[in-house]
Amino acid sequence: MKQSSKIQKIIMIVAPILIVAVTFISIIYGTKDISLHTIWQSIVNFDKSDPDHQIIRSNRIPRAIAVLCVGAFLAVAGAIMQGITRNYLASPSLMGVNDGSAFVITLAVVFIPGLANYQMILLSIAGSAMGAALVFGFGSLIRNGLSPVRLAIIGTVIGTFLSSLATAIAMYFQVSQTIAAWYNTKIHTVNMDMLLMSMPFGAVGLVLALICARAITITSLGEDIATGLGQKTKAIRYLSMFAVVLLTGTSVALVGKIAFVGLVIPHIVRFIVGIDYRNIIPCSILIGALFLSLCDLVSRYLNFPFETPIGVVTAFIGIPFFLYLIRSRGGQRHA
Amino acid sequence: MPKNKENHIWLKATILFVIIFLSFYLHVTNGMFDMTIPDVVKTLFGMGDNPKFSLVIFEFRLPRIVIAILVGVGLAIAGCVLQGITKNDLADPGILGINAGAGAAVSFFMLVFQFNASRSDGSEWLKIMSMPLFGLVGGVLAAGIIFAFAYKHGRLDVERLLLTGIAINSGFGALALYLTLKMSEKDFEIAALWQAGTIYNANWAFIVAMLPWLIILGIYIYRKKYLLDYFQLEESTIVSLGINLEREKIKMLLASVGIVSACVSVSGSIGFIGLMAPHIARQIVGIRHRFVVPFSALIGAALLLLSDFIAKTIFAPSELAVGVVVSIIGIPYFLYLLVKAR
Repeated sequence: MKQSSKIQKIIMIVAPILIVAVTFISIIYGTKDISLHTIWQSIVNFDKSDPDHQIIRSNRIPRAIAVLCVGAFLAVAGAIMQGITRNYLASPSLMGVNDGSAFVITLAVVFIPGLANYQMILLSIAGSAMGAALVFGFGSLIRNGLSPVRLAIIGTVIGTFLSSLATAIAMYFQVSQTIAAWYNTKIHTVNMDMLLMSMPFGAVGLVLALICARAITITSLGEDIATGLGQKTKAIRYLSMFAVVLLTGTSVALVGKIAFVGLVIPHIVRFIVGIDYRNIIPCSILIGALFLSLCDLVSRYLNFPFETPIGVVTAFIGIPFFLYLIRSRGGQRHA
Repeated sequence: MPKNKENHIWLKATILFVIIFLSFYLHVTNGMFDMTIPDVVKTLFGMGDNPKFSLVIFEFRLPRIVIAILVGVGLAIAGCVLQGITKNDLADPGILGINAGAGAAVSFFMLVFQFNASRSDGSEWLKIMSMPLFGLVGGVLAAGIIFAFAYKHGRLDVERLLLTGIAINSGFGALALYLTLKMSEKDFEIAALWQAGTIYNANWAFIVAMLPWLIILGIYIYRKKYLLDYFQLEESTIVSLGINLEREKIKMLLASVGIVSACVSVSGSIGFIGLMAPHIARQIVGIRHRFVVPFSALIGAALLLLSDFIAKTIFAPSELAVGVVVSIIGIPYFLYLLVKAR
């Protein structure tokens, strides 16, 4: 225990430094070369008519911040899901949460156009809740359905279903393009208004997660132990699922669907700091943010000067890891 | 009594043929403009005098219908084989990621050779013919990875098989997306549509490209269909029958991957046909593969033809990707299977 807290301290110090460094790089470098001086000027002495200032202010800075936030949100959401379901494969993208959100957004774009940004965020959160409810509902209908593997399969299938439906609806109402912009990662379109609007929701989610951390640790030890320790397991479960829904809903509303962050980061963090969620959740915030901003940098340079969707980058990193998880822990014995 | 049973089989087969024929009729008469039956019949037998009709039928509708039937047959047979080999009802080339592997390889092919089959007018024969080969490489690679991960302690772990499939699916999907993004804008749009599973750019060249695969491998599988029955037995029993189990499994697997690759290179990734068709077939004719394989083929053809008809007409004049229609129909069925299995 002593050692893990030492490692945790190191992370707590090193990760923020790295985050600042990566964010710095991601603001400085881009398709257009902008001098450091201009960047500084754009922050302290903003000139509306200068295109470079506009690029920094309305594109690069919001983007850098959004990537940090979304990375943190998704990592924490994944950590909570894995904790309360005691399911090593639980994650927002595998459990239909992302797709649920995108589905509801599609309906909204089609049937109630002209919604304000904050309404979109709320709808996206409602959609996440719906997706999660569908997947877990089906999981509990089916024998052994809440086992890690079964749930992952159900989640993937329901996710595919929701996104197929959304595709059909979008096609019919000829809004495919608008929807595609929502569905696919759209980090380059993040603007300051949207970012500020979504912050409160995400922040509430993070705070909830931190509050629940201790209870999640206990839940993750098993139902019997948790009840034995006098914990209201149901209440904790609902509360922390609410946090998950807030976090993923906000993320999808901000940048679209990004897979594998919520799966991979919590595993890495748990590997480093052990099983106590009071350590896991803060570390997930830091490492998730760092990971996604690194992926964002890579995505910009993989096919320079064109951008590669960040989801492609996270998939390339996440899938080998996923396979490793299956290989080392999967199978019927653990299912 | 066996005689009676055979009659039933023929009756059921006839009903299926009628369904396919009805779908064919719907498909060929409906579209951008409707045609009457006499028009269609006249045109089909070369007695029509309206060049517009024969253009529409021979260049647009017929190739599309033929491809829908062939792809349906191919995916259904492949699904049969995969379900037989893995002894698992939930196996399907789409779910296992073989589609995605073949799809990524075909995307790679399109990128490297600057060639987009969906846009081609069928004049680039060599390239069209070699597309399934590329698909096969990708499909075999995907199947190889999946089975490498799913084998543990000398046996196939079903749950792990499906999970690896999910991973392979998204992995090759991401790869294909990455590759298509390197294409020109125009090519990208078509490639993206193609990946979603679509057959509306059908032409005769595709049919010629996929037909040999389907015929040769299809016949191979049909001749070996008794193996699929044996696979259901205990492994030790099969070995004691003098069958080299692993080798036969791999051969059957390769054959089905070959069929899937040929289908994917023509129509993009269409999931769930390979899942549904064998299931429905087993409900109709029981578990003997002698009947299951041909019936699956018929059911697959009917399903895909109907789905393509829906895809073509429901939102006309815009086209829905047929893969989307199949998932919307197929997934509730998949979930129903899961619930029923409890």
